[in-house]
Amino acid sequence: MTIAPEPTATELTEPVGESVDGAGKIEGRSLGRIAWGRLKRDRVALAGGAIVLLLILVAILAPVIVKYLGHPPNEPHHELVDDTRGTAIGKWGGISRDYLFGVEPQSGRDLFSRVVYGARVSLLIAFLATLLSMVIGTVMGVLAGYFGGWVDTLIARTMDVFLAFPLLLFAIAIVGVIPDQAFGLRGNALRMAILIFIIGFFSWPYIGRIIRGQTLSLREREFVESARSLGARAPYIMFRELLPNLVAPILVYTTLLIPTNILFEAALSYLGVGVIPPTASWGGMLADATQSSWYRVAPNFMVFPGLAIFVTVLAFNLFGDGLRDALDPKGR
Amino acid sequence: MRRRTAVPAVAVGVTLGMVLAACGGGSDEGGDNQSGKAEAKQNAAVGQIFKPSTKKGGTIRYANADDFDSVDPGDTYYGYAWDFARYYCRSLTMFDTKPGDEGNKIVPDLAESLGTPSDGGKTWTYKLRSGVKFEDGTPITSKDVKYAVERSLDKSVLKNGPTYFNDLLDLQGYPGAFKDPSPDKLGLKAIETPDDQTIVFHLKEAFGGFDYIAMLPATCPVPRDKDTGSKYKEHVVSSGPYMFDTYEAGKSFSLKRNPNWDPATDPHRAALPDRIEMQLHVNANDIDNRLMSGDLDVDVQSIGVQAATQAQILNDPNLAKNTDNPTLARTWFAAINPDVAPLDNIDCRKAVLYAADHDGYLRAFGGSVGGELPTSLLPPSIPGWQDIDLYNFKEHKTGDPEAAKQSLQACGQPNGFSTNLAYRSDRPTEKAAAEALQASLAKVGIKATLKGYPSGDYFALYAGKPSYAKSNNLGIMLHGWGADWPDGYGFLSQLVDSRTIRESGGNYNLTVKDPEIDKLLDEARTKTSIEAQQPFWAQIDKKVMEDATILPGVWAKVLLYRPTRLTNVYVNEGLGGYYDFVQLGVQE
Amino acid sequence: MFRYIIRRLLASVLLLVIISMITFAIFFLVPRLAGATSDDLAARYASRAADAAQVHALSERLGLDQPIWVQYGKFVKTLVAGADYDTGTGTDHCSAPCLGYSFVTQNPVGPELLDRLPVTASLAAGACVLWLLGGVATGVMSALRKGSVFDRAAMGTALAGVSLPIFFTGLVTLSVFSYSLGWTAPGGSYTPLTQNPAQWAYDLLLPWICLAFLYAAAYARLTRSGMLETMGEDFIRTARAKGLPERTVVVKHALRSTLTPITTIFGLDLGLLLGGAVLTESTFSLPGIGKYAVDAINAHDLPKILGVVLVATIFIILANLIVDVLYAVIDPRVRLS
Repeated sequence: MTIAPEPTATELTEPVGESVDGAGKIEGRSLGRIAWGRLKRDRVALAGGAIVLLLILVAILAPVIVKYLGHPPNEPHHELVDDTRGTAIGKWGGISRDYLFGVEPQSGRDLFSRVVYGARVSLLIAFLATLLSMVIGTVMGVLAGYFGGWVDTLIARTMDVFLAFPLLLFAIAIVGVIPDQAFGLRGNALRMAILIFIIGFFSWPYIGRIIRGQTLSLREREFVESARSLGARAPYIMFRELLPNLVAPILVYTTLLIPTNILFEAALSYLGVGVIPPTASWGGMLADATQSSWYRVAPNFMVFPGLAIFVTVLAFNLFGDGLRDALDPKGR
Repeated sequence: MRRRTAVPAVAVGVTLGMVLAACGGGSDEGGDNQSGKAEAKQNAAVGQIFKPSTKKGGTIRYANADDFDSVDPGDTYYGYAWDFARYYCRSLTMFDTKPGDEGNKIVPDLAESLGTPSDGGKTWTYKLRSGVKFEDGTPITSKDVKYAVERSLDKSVLKNGPTYFNDLLDLQGYPGAFKDPSPDKLGLKAIETPDDQTIVFHLKEAFGGFDYIAMLPATCPVPRDKDTGSKYKEHVVSSGPYMFDTYEAGKSFSLKRNPNWDPATDPHRAALPDRIEMQLHVNANDIDNRLMSGDLDVDVQSIGVQAATQAQILNDPNLAKNTDNPTLARTWFAAINPDVAPLDNIDCRKAVLYAADHDGYLRAFGGSVGGELPTSLLPPSIPGWQDIDLYNFKEHKTGDPEAAKQSLQACGQPNGFSTNLAYRSDRPTEKAAAEALQASLAKVGIKATLKGYPSGDYFALYAGKPSYAKSNNLGIMLHGWGADWPDGYGFLSQLVDSRTIRESGGNYNLTVKDPEIDKLLDEARTKTSIEAQQPFWAQIDKKVMEDATILPGVWAKVLLYRPTRLTNVYVNEGLGGYYDFVQLGVQE
Repeated sequence: MFRYIIRRLLASVLLLVIISMITFAIFFLVPRLAGATSDDLAARYASRAADAAQVHALSERLGLDQPIWVQYGKFVKTLVAGADYDTGTGTDHCSAPCLGYSFVTQNPVGPELLDRLPVTASLAAGACVLWLLGGVATGVMSALRKGSVFDRAAMGTALAGVSLPIFFTGLVTLSVFSYSLGWTAPGGSYTPLTQNPAQWAYDLLLPWICLAFLYAAAYARLTRSGMLETMGEDFIRTARAKGLPERTVVVKHALRSTLTPITTIFGLDLGLLLGGAVLTESTFSLPGIGKYAVDAINAHDLPKILGVVLVATIFIILANLIVDVLYAVIDPRVRLS
């Protein structure tokens, strides 16, 4: 789907170039301060942000959490599942104080730990992939927007090519042909690096398009002209004048890209090219729940990973929306 | 022959009683009283016919979770495809269409009687029945059978079939029918057709079990003027009770009655339905649902119900009574690779055998419904099987870490070692088994890293390719093998003969390289009767376990759902635990 | 205008060429980077009984040992001029445009693709009608009643909609509506439109709804923010000041303006969807192009993969082209750039 961060028709920024130079004592509020104020009043967005922070904490502290609240994520507990049915012996999929989300069918692994560790995988891959997209997208967008002409055409057409790729198919294909050991990495490290690269590399046009648009309009502004007339060269203008004004859209759309990438990673896991088992990942668990129709007799196996994805994506979307509304003077 | 089924004695008695009563009622085309009233019970179709019927009519609906490798009888290697081929193709011999042990017996089909060996078992002669015709009325001659075998030899055009004829016939460089220089394309000297009803096979060496080879679909006659090579599968010319009606590649096909099939020449086939419909590439979960809702009659692959459906069924007596749980001539196992250090040391291999969680492996395949805890490679349904438990699996169902640690000491790796564990990533059962194995090996310090591969290429490029397995440290490779036909040779020959191992890949024997086993196989092969061969199988089984190159995982069973619409149902043991398709009927 | 279309068409063909080249490159280069020889690659399509000589012969027959530009050239030639294939007993001719024969099943790829196209098209068509109507209508109403209970509820649902993966909603709804309640068709059901229109619609109802929900959510959000923006513009104030009824203001003026960017995105989305709704088809077991592609990739069946990629890209390009042309019609500034 093309809808990553939905590009609204609005131009987003107000240039910060007119900020206080230290000359007058009129304390004009910087965009950042205005935005922060607006954000603080948006309770829904704050809630989203809080959940995001919580999730990040959970991901970082996973080993600690599991140590006190659960069991090792890859450890089977056959005594908790029926041997021919595969379903948990306890009620509700084996939910108990010891096993907060119950157990996985057949293996009896602790679902709670697996969901917590799954957060690590999903968030790590999504964050790093988004970072990659952001860097490439910003660079390309600024170059295209600033130079125009053939540079712009080339980059814009390249973005077209990327957007025209049947993405999921290429992801599956590439993972399938990568050898076991490459770039000094092997096993899960290599697999995650590849996933980060694929997701990040194919997502950059979303940010690139926006940045290009923003740059195109910013370039005509007076402060850029004045910088040019003062003899500033292209790199200086791009980095010192344009970039600070692009921080807002970059921030917003990067935040809105993260949930898309989380879903992308979940989809790849679902199609079988996610992290290597038995490492837990949310999409992988959903895939297992479908593969043999486990979801019909062990709904907890589907519900908890699914909810985890849902809550994470929702939180990022809420926060990102709030961020956009806070930084956008017109929209609300 | 010992067979393990879970049929309680009472159920057998009751069903047997009903079958006898039904037989007493006389058989006629219209009568259906007996077939409708039989009471469904679990395993009602194992060892006896459930709802026996002679009533013709109706359409039987099949579905396949995948696709056939080919419906061309000379180009197929799936057991279920061989079962299904009996609808439209008659080979020289066939497994009898009877339940229970009777189904293991070979009876003549296209031939009048079983083969006559001569020349110490190097030559086999068959006489064809008279009056058998192709679907267009052309009489079938021995030359059609010869041509069929000749074309199946060319693996560059028809690449899927087994290679028994390539291996056994005295080919003398014959290039296969498609490249045959002679004008009538019958240039293979190893097969003679002295007259239209007689066919003679000349083998390289004596082979006592040739009647099993004569049963292969490759001997189904093919009319040379209608052969279109790799496109023949689009319309296979029938010699059986049904002929192809429609064929949409990769989607579906259907069969209708063959007007030129003469039941007088075919004492074994019931041919009850009027039409057969097959849908391909149907989602496996949906197959289960449709079987249970009555929208489908047969899952042709007979892989059994999915894991969750199994749970559903076992929890509901109304569903459980419509199931059959036959034992198969199949073992799921892990091959332990002596090419990969430190598993080149036999004690390290034994450590793996001792440490493995056999119960966990079995659970991955469905617990006691999915099979039996094995103690050796050969499954108990193979005649000649003997109880061999060299490592005390029965006593240590979840593994024996003590014995494993001792073995590790003996092989110089007291703290364990690392290796890679290969499995087919698109098979949830193998994934679960791999994870269970990994967890139990970790307890004694053996660190196994899972490596999943797609099943399509598993044998061609990965586990089945010695150089790949070695350079990628595949110390343990999950595998599963069902007998091509239910005797020791049919099970073992492709699996433990070291001379079948090819560097170019495509091997089914992944790890067994023992010249003594090869010798035992050769000795067995020369025996001219199947019974005389039997003692060898247990000896080979014992040697395999002594070498510790195979860790048996499950002696397989399968849980089949039996829709209530089916009549005349039973499991054919010879065919490998599938329902006998050609005997099935449907009631409206 | 005409020249604009020509320019875009040429650019589209170029795009097609580039993407097919990249597909080729992926399947050609990457395995070789991993050290696989062309014989290794041919081995996966050969009989397991083939010896080294036969595998090598197959490698030559499939052209796997040729340099990449030769292989690509052969592919293009086959596409435009057709080719002959040896069936053993004779030759079979595949007429242009020929997408080749599957390496694995030797079935011709073209007819198989054409067979599966209607399924994906049906899925896309039904869903897009639903999501366009539902999403835009909801977005407009939300914008008009900004801050109301309806607005909050609608946008909340929409947010939920974009946060759920399709394979999750698909599973849950299948479980509840198809298997537990029996209201909708089970997975894997598909009846061609020409065979039985009512059954066709019934079979696709659940996939349509799930897919539409996902997109409608996004479109509702987009429409709402677009409408809000437009409604604040000067020309709306002018229209109101002129005394036009509110309905005309909304529909004829605001909506028109809002719909422009939405049309662009809709074209892109539809194009992508036609290129293979992989996840939806997988979840609901629909025999469309997406599922075909995934199976082909897993089997490394290059002709099938190329076939799907080409078809998918053509749809995306077509969608882009139509949208661009529409844009040029509506907005004269675009034509001049």
